[in-house]
This record gives sequence, structure tokens and C-alpha cells, in this order.
Amino acid sequence: MTEERYAVIGQSVLRKGAREKVLGAAVFAADIDLGRPLVLLARRSDHSHALIRQIDVAAALAIDGVKGVFTARDIPGVNLLGIINKDQPLLADDKVRSRADAVALVVAESQAVAEQAAEAISIDYQPLPALFEPLEALAEGAPPIHKKGNLLLTRVVRRGDVDSAFAAAASLIEKEYETGFIEHNYLEPDAGIGHVDADGTLVIYASTQNPHYDHKEVVGLLDLPDEKVRIIQAATGGGFGSKLDLNVQGFIGLALHHLGHLGRPVRYIYSREEAYLATSKRHPFRIRMTTACDRSGRLTAMRVRAVCNTGAYGSYGIAVASRAAVHATGPYAIDNVDVEVQCVYTNATYCGAMRGFGAPQMALAHESQIDLHAEELHIDPLAMRTMNALQVGATSSTGQILTASIGYRQCLEAVAPYYRQACDHWLPAPTLPHRRRGVGLGGMWYGIGNTGVQNPSTARIEMAPDGSVTLFTGCADIGQGSTTVLSQIAAEILGLSPEAIRMVVADTKYTTSAGATSASRQTYISGNAVANATRNLANVLLTEAVNRLRAPKNSLLFSGGEIVVASKPEVRVAMATLARRIHDKGGTLSWQGFFDPETVPLDPQTGEGVPYATYAFACHLAEVEVDTLTGEVHVARVVAAHDVGRAINPASVVGQICGGVAMGVGFALMEEFEQGRTESMKDYHIPTAADMPEVVPIIIEAAEPSGPFGAKGVGEPALIPTAPAIVNAISAALNRRIYALPASLERVLAASIDAGHYRRKER
Amino acid sequence: MNRDCTYHRPSTLAEAVDYLATKGGETTIIAGGTDVMVDLRAGKLERRNLLDVSRLDELRGIRLEGEKLVVGAAVTLAEIHRSPLLANHAPALQKCARNFASAQIRNKATIGGNVGHCSPCGDTIPPLVIHQAEMVCTGSSGQRRLPITEVATGAYRCQIARDEIITAFVLEPVGADFADFQKIGRRQALAISRMSMAAMLNQDQEGRITMLRLALGACTPTPCRLRLVEEFLLGKKPQPALLMQAGELLAEQMIAITGRRSSIIYKEPAVQGLFRRILSPVACHD
Repeated sequence: MTEERYAVIGQSVLRKGAREKVLGAAVFAADIDLGRPLVLLARRSDHSHALIRQIDVAAALAIDGVKGVFTARDIPGVNLLGIINKDQPLLADDKVRSRADAVALVVAESQAVAEQAAEAISIDYQPLPALFEPLEALAEGAPPIHKKGNLLLTRVVRRGDVDSAFAAAASLIEKEYETGFIEHNYLEPDAGIGHVDADGTLVIYASTQNPHYDHKEVVGLLDLPDEKVRIIQAATGGGFGSKLDLNVQGFIGLALHHLGHLGRPVRYIYSREEAYLATSKRHPFRIRMTTACDRSGRLTAMRVRAVCNTGAYGSYGIAVASRAAVHATGPYAIDNVDVEVQCVYTNATYCGAMRGFGAPQMALAHESQIDLHAEELHIDPLAMRTMNALQVGATSSTGQILTASIGYRQCLEAVAPYYRQACDHWLPAPTLPHRRRGVGLGGMWYGIGNTGVQNPSTARIEMAPDGSVTLFTGCADIGQGSTTVLSQIAAEILGLSPEAIRMVVADTKYTTSAGATSASRQTYISGNAVANATRNLANVLLTEAVNRLRAPKNSLLFSGGEIVVASKPEVRVAMATLARRIHDKGGTLSWQGFFDPETVPLDPQTGEGVPYATYAFACHLAEVEVDTLTGEVHVARVVAAHDVGRAINPASVVGQICGGVAMGVGFALMEEFEQGRTESMKDYHIPTAADMPEVVPIIIEAAEPSGPFGAKGVGEPALIPTAPAIVNAISAALNRRIYALPASLERVLAASIDAGHYRRKER
Repeated sequence: MNRDCTYHRPSTLAEAVDYLATKGGETTIIAGGTDVMVDLRAGKLERRNLLDVSRLDELRGIRLEGEKLVVGAAVTLAEIHRSPLLANHAPALQKCARNFASAQIRNKATIGGNVGHCSPCGDTIPPLVIHQAEMVCTGSSGQRRLPITEVATGAYRCQIARDEIITAFVLEPVGADFADFQKIGRRQALAISRMSMAAMLNQDQEGRITMLRLALGACTPTPCRLRLVEEFLLGKKPQPALLMQAGELLAEQMIAITGRRSSIIYKEPAVQGLFRRILSPVACHD
């Protein structure tokens, strides 16, 4: 394949909005000044599971400065939320299913008054038994948390004959793995502010990953016409999946609906404590995985029985279970597969999307299994991965034939020299007597976009008669840099600089839906929608240029705001000239773009289908030092190779990789959200700068033919291999495996004692 | 939730003492504010008259006074970390300041606040214990001194009276070849100690221990000097097998105080591990 040369693609152009963020000038929802706002506060449930007999708001309403108190009966439309399945009321109706549930909404003059009023609301509950473990919730006779029961979904992926393969196996390993609740812990707690504008539209600015979904939900809750609600994404300080749910937006809409006549803006800013209490978590998984391989180390079969805890509501639980099932094999070719993932309701805080959607949990299992087989068969872990790596032409567990852009082997090859060096030189180098070193690998694959469902994106590009260009996209940039990447794609096609593209982003009045900023999908899917719109515009400009320059289309190039004849660069015409002529002739300079990846829904009985149009791949190498006396783990270095198809903005890709490694270190070693106990960052540990290893990011570009300039995605892949690599490194250091995350002080010291390192006679 | 408060900043210690004589009952003393502000924000601060002592000259400075080392109560952790005097005369105290919380907190938090808060996890306490420090406080009835091990009557319960201000800590300068502080946290910075330990030790020419002071942090409700372990090791050569035995004794001592709570599954081996690690540089291998 010949390497095409691009002017803007592959350049680390300055992130749009970077300057404002560095200067503190970026306007987050909590910074927006619309005049004296009324303050919102939800009264959360006092029980994990209870029927509501009665709610008495009289005492709260009597407090000076209270403008309103609303309950479920004040919701004019449908009081049920959820992007995949609708099961979550904005305000609890007849029962509460977790402590996160909002029962009433207070609107007050100040935070202090709102807090006082929220406490003054009297709720008469009839407590029900609360279930926190999925197995309890699935037990016969368990009290149903939802009318339909406690099992939300079972996702199955079956192919081949697992039992026969197991019977013929040279190595058969069955283990159980466990991961816990994880808090997203974005820098900016959820916030939003809204007002009613001059023509009676409810305008809501919010910290969100999906303004068009927010719009649909608020319209439904309030039973309003589409055009009477407008959602605008404010600068957003991270989301990692949690800002895909409707957090403050519905409350703001409800307050405006009832109190808009006061002419006051209303605002809701979650404290860190409320963000911890009331927003989604990562699904805890319990995974029993059995894998078999032949004498040479080739994987032949896999059986998985996994249960994930979605807490009180579905949120993205169905997507998490589905993605976990599809990703169970990891980036390896396994002919015989039998996977079942159950997604179960409990009375825990609801679990939703979080960077990786079940793939990080599953990666812990499949990467541990690979190392276990490698050890049993005396095969090098890197060779074991290389031997089993998916390649072009392979068939996945869902029966999808992989046709292009399968860069896992390239990732392994890129990591190999670091791995050899670590094994040969770093491992044997002297360290303190109570420390042991270990090197570990983690691999992953990740399907870009939503699992086996349509998930289109749209975009519109407009050229004014003066030649200036505006790109309209619904795509929420939550800090990952999509606005910059989309501007680079449009700029490349039109031969402009990205700064020349004016961006109108994530405002439901002016932009059409780009779908969620999730599933690592925006570069690939919205990038393609932008490319589609831009190529439509480019085409009419070329058509006009053909007339003007008397040269065929295929001889023309876009360059520096002009269209030129490639072989005779002095023959050229300014785009502004062409735009004016097209405009004057009544032609259109406004073009809509669309892209929906080609997928086939998964068969409910077999899981057969094409869940994703393309996959990203990665391999991480972790070098760790374990203190055998205390269980402390120091991660010295992570080498992270990522096949992203094409790095449209390499600096952004590197940023995602380093951020993903940081989050992966937390997932591996310290993050643990305990229901009913964890309140804030005082008792939830995420890594600090001092915990960060040296990161060596390596970009692999196995171009995706259907991607914009070959691009796929990297947002979630960046996180996924880190924890398995660290766990494999700890396990190698101690000769004892850790099966549950986090690999905390307690678990690591227990493994060290068990392996005999703790009482080792010191010489 | 009421977060209103009043704020006073006296310019002399005498003024502060006067203020407390009348308003002590409703006053919280604030210096760096790294604990007080957290409680205030959470609505957990009962006495919301704030008396800011952070700029009182009488509470500042690190100096040698005769045989003693004096550290002002309003000295910040950052100042402790930077002090050449402490690096020489109280290296364990200086070292505890290195990984104390974060740079921002070290710039504000004071040693007086860390001790007076009486958190079982206060990192300055084990080093002060091995320096046999005394806390000096001043109140309307004059000045008094209190051994550091008697400051706390329980977790977060301080011995000092409502009309008293902690002014300084008086330490015995290190008179040993070896002194160290180590802690175990869940991460490398901004970590509340899961466990901490300070040790000071002298050996004779054969390696026998002639002096040992050992203090444990974050495991017991109040500061803990481990005299039984010290006595066990005194006069002996710290060979690995002996240190392992001493570690077991240490764990028994700890459990005798705390009882067997669920965290003991980790703390019992970890306290021995930390002990063996902190003393590994002085272990005799003959």
C-alpha cells in the first residue's frame, strides 16, 4: 500500500480550546452566568430498597426561600429514562431501588436553603429486603427489584464444539476472576444551568457526552415538542461514560417547566459527594473462564460464565454485557466458544458505561488465562500471544470474518524489543532484598462503536459565499479532542488549515445528532460523517472548478484555499470565487453527511453477527516491583502499543494512551468503590502523578479501509490492557496469581506470604 | 447544613490566649486549615468561631535551645521538610514531611495541627514519639508541658483545654547512628497512612543494640511506643531471625491494644514486614 501524504492528517495541531483551558477561560456549566440562579437539590432515598407510602413536602415548602418542591406526580410526560432500556424514573414513583434514587426535587434561593428543605421533606417508606449480590438477586424467591424480575439480560456467544475441544486439550485451565465497582471520577462533577428564552424554549447547558440523547429524554419527560427544548453542551471536564446518563438535565428541565414564569435561571451543580452517590459506576464482574489449548499453545476452546451487577437500573448494562461476551476471547482466534454473560439488577448504585464497557473486566480474565497456559506449557507469554493473535482472514467468535486493519501482531512486535530488554536486563538487575521484580503483558481488542446496533452519526458543512467554512457537529468533545480531529478531517479534504474551519458543536438547535461520545466511536463514525459532508461540498466546488479551469476533476487539487491543476499549479481559482458563483447560480453550499458502520445484530441464541465494522488493538508491557513485606507495588514502566488505524492527531493519541494508563494503574492497584461506604475522593484512591509509571506510547497504523483516512479509535483501548499487564507482572514477580481487582496492599501481601517470600530467610 | 463561621486573627499569643479565656468554649483553633476546612465544608464543625494562630510569631521557627530542639506549633510540613536543622537532629521527622499528603497541603498544614487533631494516622506523631517530645501549650493559667504520648486520650480526642493553644514541641535531638520513618499508603502521594513507623537505634561495635526507640502510627487509637519490643532487642544483635521474632512480638503488642478487627488480616503481617524493612539497614548478618 502506498503511503499517501497529507497536509493536516497526522499533524499534532493545537487542540481547539486548549488555550482557554490553560488560561482558565473555558466556560464550564458551573461558570455560566445567566443572572441570579435558583438552586436545585434532589432529596435522595434513605433506603436501598423500599416502597414509598407517602411524601410530605409541606414543611419544605414552608421554608423561606423555597420556590418549589417536585415529586414524580409533577412530571407531565413519561417518568422513565434509559438509553437502551427505559427503567429509571427521574423521581422515584412508587418505590426506591437504591440510595442513589432521587425522591423529590427542591428549587430554592440558595444552596443552604435547598439543603434545609431537602431534609425537611418527610418520606414514609415501607422497607424491602435489599439485595447487593447478583447471585442473591437471581436466587429463587428473591424480591423482584423491577416488575420484570432481576435478570436484565443474558448475552450468549456460541460457536463450534467446546466440550470436544476440552476433551482433547493439552492444557485446560479454569479460573474465577472478580472486579469491583469503579467510580469515573472525572475532574468536573456533573453540572448544568438552564433558562427559558424569549420564545419559550427551555435552554439547558450541561456537562454531557450526548446532548441529542439528553434532548430526547427531556422532551419525553416534559411532554414538549422537540423545538421547545434546546440542549447545549458546556465545556466538559471529562465523562468516561458517566455523563452519558441523564444526570442534572432532567431536573433542570422539570424546574424550568414549572417555574419558568419566575424568569430566573435554574442551576444544579453536583458536589463531589453527590457525583459519587448519584451517578453510575463501572459494573462489577464475576467471571468463570475455562480455556483449552493444544500442545503447541494454540487456543482451541473457551467457556465463560460471567455475571455483572448493573445495580438498580439498566443504564448501559445491556451494552456492557454484550460487549463483554463478544470480547471474551480477547484478540485471539479461538474456534470453539461458549460464552454466557448475565446482567443482573441489585439494589446497588446503578452501573453504566465506563471506558471499555465490560472489555476491561474481560481482559483481566483472558490475559491471565494466556499467562497461565504459557506457564503450564513452558511457552514464552509473548510467543503465546503472537501464535494466537487474530489476523486478516480470521473468524471471530461471532462468526465475523476479519478482513482488514488487524494490527495486533504489529503491536506485539512493537513491544517485543522492550519485553526482551526488560526480561534480559531489568529483571535480573539488583534491587532491595525485600523487593521482587516482574514483567507482564496485556493484550486487547476493542470493537469501535455500539455493539451490533445501528449507531449513525451526522454532520453538516457550510461554505459561505465568501469561502469561509463552518462545520456543524453534534459530537460532544469532553476533553478527548474530537472537535480538533473533526476539523482536521474537513480541513484535509478542502485543503484548508484546521483553524480556518469554524466549529459549531453539540448544540441541539444548530447541530444534528452525532450519537454518543462513547464506545471510542467519534473519530471513526463522526469522522466519516464529516468526511462524507465535506466530500459532498468538495464535489460541487470541483464541478464548478472544472468549468472555470477547463481541466478534468481528477486533475484538480485543493490547496491553501484554492483549487489548482495538479500538473500546472499556476492554473488555479480561489474557493471563494467558486463559492460565490455556486451561490449566485442557486446551487447549494450546505451539505449533510452521514455514516453508520456496517453491522449485523447479534443472534440472541448464538451471538452470531457482525457486532462492529472495525476493531482497535493494543498490547501493553508493564514492569513492576513488589514489596514482599508490605504488599506495595511500584509500576516502573508501561510500554503501550496501539493500533489506531491512523493517528489523525498523534499528540491526542499519545494523550489518550497516557491517560488510559493512569486509569489502568488505578483499576489494577487501588480503585474500589464500596457501596454505602465510599463517599468522595477522601476514601477513593485514584493514582497521583507520583504513582504514574514512565509511559512509552507506540502508535501502530494498520489503516482501516472504511475509516476516515484509515482511522479507528483509541479512547477506551488506552485503558484496557494496563491492568492485565500489571496483574501479570505482579503474578510473575511473586509466582502467585492475583485473581481479583484491585491488587491492593492486602491481596498482594497475602499472595507474597502464600508464595513464601515473606518469611524467606534473608542472607 | 450551616457553614457560617466567624474568623479572628490575633497578632500576639497573649491576645489569642485572652480571646480563648472568654470564647474558648465556642472556638476552633485554625492554623493551616487542612483539617478544619474539611470539617467546616462537611458541616461537621461544631465550634464555628475560628481563631487563626498561623501567623503568631511565638508559634513559629525551628531552633536549638540548649540541649533541646524546639519546633514551633505553626511550623508547616514544608518548612520541616526544608529544615537543615531537622535533617541533622531529627531526620525521621524531616523524612515524614517528605511524603506527607501533597505539596499544596504541606505548604499549609502545621505540626501543631497534625498533633492536635489526634488522628491515629498523623504522620508527625511517631517521629515525635521517638524523640521523646513534649508538647508545650499556653492558656490563661499559664504554660504547661505534656509528653507527646499523652496528648491524645483517644482517636481525635485531644488532652488540651479549650482555653489552651499548642505553641511548640520540644524534642530530644537524635543521639543515634540510625533513625528512620516509613509509611505504607494506598498510593505514593496524598495517601492517609495505612501504617507508619519511626525508629531510632544505636549499636555497639559488635552490633549489639544499645539504644532503641520504636513508635507505631495508624494502627492504634493513640500514639504507641513499643517498649516491650525495645526491651526484647536491647543488648542483642539484630540478626534476621531475631528481628523476625521481635516482629512477632510487635504484632502481638499491637493486637493486644486494638483487638482483632477485620483489618488485622493485613496489619498483622504488614506491621512485621514494615518493622523488618525499617531495621534492615542495621541487621547483622553474621
